[in-house]
Amino acid sequence: MAIATAPLPTSTKRHAVSPWPDRLRRMAVPALVMTAIIAVGSAIGPDIPTWLDAHVKPKVDEIYRWTVLHGDTNWLFTNVFTPIGDAIKWATDHMLSLLQVLRWPGVLALTGLIGYRTGGTRAALTGVIVLAGCGILGFWDNTMETLALMLVSVMVSLLIGIPLGIWAGLSDRAEKSMRGVLDTAQVMPLYVYLLPLVVAFGIGEPAAVIATVIFAVPPAVRITSLGIRAVAGTSTEVGTSFGCTSPQLLLKVRLPLARRSILLGVNQVIMMAFGIVVYAAIIGTAGLGRDVLNGLQKVNVGNAFAPGLAIVFAAIAIDRITTGERSRSAASDEPQSRLQSLIERPATCAILIVGSVMVVALAAKLLGADEFPTSWTVDIAAPVNDAAKWVNDNFRSGVPIIGGTASFSDFIVINLLTPARDLLQGAAWYVVVAIVTAIGWASGGWRLGALCGACFVGIASLRVWDLAMDTLSQVLVAVTLSLLIAIPLGIWAARSATVERILRPLLDVAQVMPAFVYLVPVIFLFNVGRVPGVIASVIYAIPPGIRLTALGLQQVPYPPREAALSFGATPGQELVKVQLPLATRSIMLAVNQTIILVLSVVVVAALIGAGGLGLETVYGLTKKEIGRGVAGGLAIVLLAVVLDRITQSWGTGADRRINRRAWAQRRSRRTIENATP
Amino acid sequence: MKATTRPTRAARWLLAGALLLGAAACGSDEKKSDTTTAGTTAGTTAGTAASGDTAATGEAGAGIVLAVNPWTGSAVNANVAKVVLESKLDTEVTLLDIDENATWPGLDAGDIDAVLEVWPSGHAADVATYIDEKKSVVNLGLLGPDAKIGWYIPTSVLADNPELATWEGFKDPDTAALFATAESGDLGQFLMGDPSYVSYDEQIIANLELPLKFVVAGSEAALITAIQQAETDGTPLLMQFWQPHWLQSKVALTEVKLPDVTDACLASAAAADGGFACDYPIDNLFKAASAKLETKNPAAFALLSKLQLTTEQQNEIAAMIDGDGMPAAEAAKAWVEANPDVVNAWLS
Repeated sequence: MAIATAPLPTSTKRHAVSPWPDRLRRMAVPALVMTAIIAVGSAIGPDIPTWLDAHVKPKVDEIYRWTVLHGDTNWLFTNVFTPIGDAIKWATDHMLSLLQVLRWPGVLALTGLIGYRTGGTRAALTGVIVLAGCGILGFWDNTMETLALMLVSVMVSLLIGIPLGIWAGLSDRAEKSMRGVLDTAQVMPLYVYLLPLVVAFGIGEPAAVIATVIFAVPPAVRITSLGIRAVAGTSTEVGTSFGCTSPQLLLKVRLPLARRSILLGVNQVIMMAFGIVVYAAIIGTAGLGRDVLNGLQKVNVGNAFAPGLAIVFAAIAIDRITTGERSRSAASDEPQSRLQSLIERPATCAILIVGSVMVVALAAKLLGADEFPTSWTVDIAAPVNDAAKWVNDNFRSGVPIIGGTASFSDFIVINLLTPARDLLQGAAWYVVVAIVTAIGWASGGWRLGALCGACFVGIASLRVWDLAMDTLSQVLVAVTLSLLIAIPLGIWAARSATVERILRPLLDVAQVMPAFVYLVPVIFLFNVGRVPGVIASVIYAIPPGIRLTALGLQQVPYPPREAALSFGATPGQELVKVQLPLATRSIMLAVNQTIILVLSVVVVAALIGAGGLGLETVYGLTKKEIGRGVAGGLAIVLLAVVLDRITQSWGTGADRRINRRAWAQRRSRRTIENATP
Repeated sequence: MKATTRPTRAARWLLAGALLLGAAACGSDEKKSDTTTAGTTAGTTAGTAASGDTAATGEAGAGIVLAVNPWTGSAVNANVAKVVLESKLDTEVTLLDIDENATWPGLDAGDIDAVLEVWPSGHAADVATYIDEKKSVVNLGLLGPDAKIGWYIPTSVLADNPELATWEGFKDPDTAALFATAESGDLGQFLMGDPSYVSYDEQIIANLELPLKFVVAGSEAALITAIQQAETDGTPLLMQFWQPHWLQSKVALTEVKLPDVTDACLASAAAADGGFACDYPIDNLFKAASAKLETKNPAAFALLSKLQLTTEQQNEIAAMIDGDGMPAAEAAKAWVEANPDVVNAWLS
């Protein structure tokens, strides 16, 4: 014991001395590179040189124009796009007529039975009640339209995403080559490619399904790949030593062990897909998205909120019944009767479910239960409007001390947004490139530095520099505000079970509720301009921030906390000195996710006055200036890559620092142990 | 405990299974026929393109798809046309809610058969591409109402500052500063709604040397919210707005008089040389159809070519929808029944 503690003073002493030269060395090289870039830049001049121009806008416009004029006779369209579009149309039409034939009792029965099979009584009840909620809100028929579209989209996304994810999980090369494509697909705003998809696949469902697939496949691939990779080496070794062929290894060992991850992938695909419902309505699909848009068009908060809530309900219902986790291991341990094992078998179970649903549907037909009973419906639009009016009357102005949302809004514009924008736009472009390169280099080595620099030069070559700086300033302000709210709430939730219980459903709703729904109340409260956009991004981005912070703190192992408390640390000290440092990685992930989410609502923010790159992508749809939209969208992707990689490196950097310290201690301990026989 | 509950659960499954086996056997035939009928109705009512494509060509009465763009006027025209086509020509009509920009690729492919209210100011490029060059879309003539974009202020502002009825009132920096906001700084704010709508406002401000700053609200919904907010708070607001619009009947707005439209001014707009310094010209709303419609359903094509509504007629039906909260389909039906002369003129 005495031996074990003896090296500690020396090791801390070593750390107390060494950081300076070490840190100096880490900072010196990036600083030199930064100076070099600024020197080169000032030789080039303050204007972005013309040879850097990638001519993206005119090139894309030319391709789009050619496609519009000659696409329908091209073999790619007649043999690939049109058949795909027709197949999707066929699938969604038949899915809808199936749901309509089942009638509402049949659909609810199906939901309940699938939920019961996958997650037991709890999942069944949640699924049925929540889905019935859509009918109670008065949107049963439109929910079925949306559901038909979503089921097809989710199936196609999984059919593409899971195999790709398995491939990426098994091959490093596949993973690497896919990363850039997945990043682009995930961050590229939908507005950019919505109109080209309409031209290629046709209005309505075909374009909507393809758009959903582009948006929803990346998380499926990522999470599946992660699950496959997380399968412990010992398990695959056991498989190999028993003579498994590699397909057997995949099917019998890797996939079953990665099941939880794959289910999480399914959950994410569903959430992403439902996030697109409103966009799908823009290009001519019926359903709940159209109701949200109509409410927005008439600036009627209640009329937009009610269908928005129905979208949330439908998403939650599908999620609960597909990802319900029944404790299988417990069941398989027990002896089963023959009858029971027969029922557990998938084929029998499917027959039973289909059969009972048919009985219910038939009964519904005979009883004439065609429409969801109108006597059950509850109109929430009027109360929501009253509530919105009350909030508006009471919070806009006249609040003691802070003044109200209107003056808060002015404060943010004058003191944060305008100075940040002026600073970023005022600096010469090469200075910004140099600073970003240096930050990247200092955070994650020369590779990251080079990547960051290249991305910002890329933004310059897209000819959207000033707009990008405008957007960057807003993103930085929005991220700061989000974290100021999310991290304290996350800490609070981690320390109080009550707070967590109250927050959880609110966060669920905030995450799935289409951002379009809160556009109007946000403008009402915060004067039109950049602030409403920032606020909308904050609302959208805080749920994962809160969740990841809480998760990180809860996962801190108990021994170090107990040690701190037994040394007389106050709960506050224990939080600041023990829990927070040990949860750094998770909190950095929260920062990272917040940034990505803020960037993903840049377009929505542009619809309420944020301007910047988001507005460029809106032009891609509304002015049919596809080239402009693509240039703006690519710039958003490049910004996202830089911010994502830098914050990711902070997370792993924190890990590395902790590991380094632990390793140094272990090594010094070992040397002592070796020295003393 | 668990061991005793398990058999009951299994028994429940068995019971359900037995029930279904009996019922499924007798119900399966009926079910099949049910699926096919539901399938076809879904194809025509909820479906969009498929119904149009699969319908026999040339036959009078082939079902058609009309686009409804997201504003009341568009819903009025399409619903009136639907009532007339279905009752007089026995043509089944599907109404498709869709964005105005996505409408054009739909017309091009024949997935949409016609759109009855196009604002020319916003679709010059579509007219050039699809109507003039590719000839996959045809112009069906004017709808009737004339639309007008302009500068607007809440009428209440005029009580204290009557000089703001014309653009010259905005020349004085102190008066213009009444419209200042955090976004516009010391200058007065000029608010633009949806950035995709036609706008010469920046040129007008620059060429008339007005102390105003051009600010984009981002969408029509944001603009309307700002107008409603200005009305509640009683704050001044200067913005681009237009007639006809449902909000005009709810909020008192006054159009600011800009310099008269001149030929030089229009030439400058066409040349896009940045020299625009006059009022917005009048927008003559027109109708457009897929080039395939004339062969697919000539009777419908002829009717849609002749269909016209005056501004008053359109407003009358729009008031039933926006004011009285009547569903668009019912309002259109009531109006068609009350105005047989107008409708018969389209059919002759």
